Amino acid sequence: MITKYITAVSTAFSPFNARTGKTVRNFLALLPPNARSKMAIDVKMFGQAEAEKPASLSLKFKDGKEMPLDLEKMKLKDIQTEVDRHSRTLRRAEELAG
Amino acid sequence: MPPRLRLNALRTTQPRTTHYVCNQCRHASLATTPSAPIEQHSLPAAATAVIARHPPTQPPSYKPPEFRKSQLHRQYQSTLRSSPLILLFQHNNLKATEWSGIRRELTTALHKVDDDLAKSGAGDAGVKVGNGVKLQIVQTGIFASALKVVEFWDPSFAGTTSAQDTTPTPAQALGAKHGLSNDAYLAAKKHAKTQKHGLEPLLSGPLALLTFPDVSPQHLKAALSILSPGLDFPAPKRRVNPGYHAKPVQDGLQKLMLLGARVDGKVFDTQGARWVGSIDGGLGGLRAQLVAMLSGIGAGVTSTLEAAGRSLYFAVEGRRGMLEEEEKAASGLKEGEQKEESPSASSN
Repeated sequence: MITKYITAVSTAFSPFNARTGKTVRNFLALLPPNARSKMAIDVKMFGQAEAEKPASLSLKFKDGKEMPLDLEKMKLKDIQTEVDRHSRTLRRAEELAG
Repeated sequence: MPPRLRLNALRTTQPRTTHYVCNQCRHASLATTPSAPIEQHSLPAAATAVIARHPPTQPPSYKPPEFRKSQLHRQYQSTLRSSPLILLFQHNNLKATEWSGIRRELTTALHKVDDDLAKSGAGDAGVKVGNGVKLQIVQTGIFASALKVVEFWDPSFAGTTSAQDTTPTPAQALGAKHGLSNDAYLAAKKHAKTQKHGLEPLLSGPLALLTFPDVSPQHLKAALSILSPGLDFPAPKRRVNPGYHAKPVQDGLQKLMLLGARVDGKVFDTQGARWVGSIDGGLGGLRAQLVAMLSGIGAGVTSTLEAAGRSLYFAVEGRRGMLEEEEKAASGLKEGEQKEESPSASSN
């Protein structure tokens, strides 16, 4: 996953919700080790009782685009595809700009 | 050459591999008088039936024991059985310097708690829980499998070994009662389909465990104030502990997420873990509170039961007193009347 162009990550989830919890946690694990200094990461965790509360994940990119991701329908692979698609356009723009 | 030893007579069970022996060879030994070797008579019959084909220190296991994952499986089973308090964290790409910094801060904080407990005399004499606390990264898949074995497989050791019972059963002889055995694997697999141990949703992604050898709320409080500080467990201040606020430690702590806890086999989430850490005075204090509450309840029950009798006694006593007073008053009146009558009679 190309993470270079992400500037902010904001999530709210319950680790006890098997489906959405695993997706968000594995997404956070994909961020590189020096990511914290370059992007603002905001994580809010619900408890065991609120496992059924809807989870949310939204990203902000360098060009200002905000991408809220629907965790009910998307799995980690789909999220990676979405992020990569936008990041590749930004990368191309950056290469062309020189 | 004909066989010198007549093994057919001594064999009690079916031989594993049946070699064909021709009639001549079968009865050829009858012509000679073989001297029976000494070993054949002294061995008990059962022992020849089951021969352990493995060393006692390495019984057969489901996966080959020389694999690293088999040894990790054993280690994780041992950790799960010996640590009544385990915190689960997710670690997102922490660097080695960050890990060493975090572990350093954790050990100093836990040693401080140990020293405080020793000074105040509240903890068990000489037992330093802080020395046994370990923050380790685990292989999530193998940990999940080990947890299934620990939760769902119960080796019933009672009733198998006794001093008199020296002849090993086939299962024992093959060393089936250990966590890596085929039995353990099959039992865990079967029960995992129907039962749940509650930690399943957490077992995904990079996992790290903080294991405590004893459930000690004071140590848990110190650990949480370092690893996942909050309003209830404040982090140490910069002036008090400048090492905690160094860049590697702070960067690393941002990448650690507390997921949940396993206390005495029960699953707690983040709030539950913080609740366990906030128990005042540790488990000793909790026990004292419980004793006080129970004795208070006992006093309450006895006083309630007594109250009925007591109130009846007081009611009866009061009534008796009233009756006595009335009698006195009545007798006093009568005397007064008599006295009045007699002087009047005497006057008349």
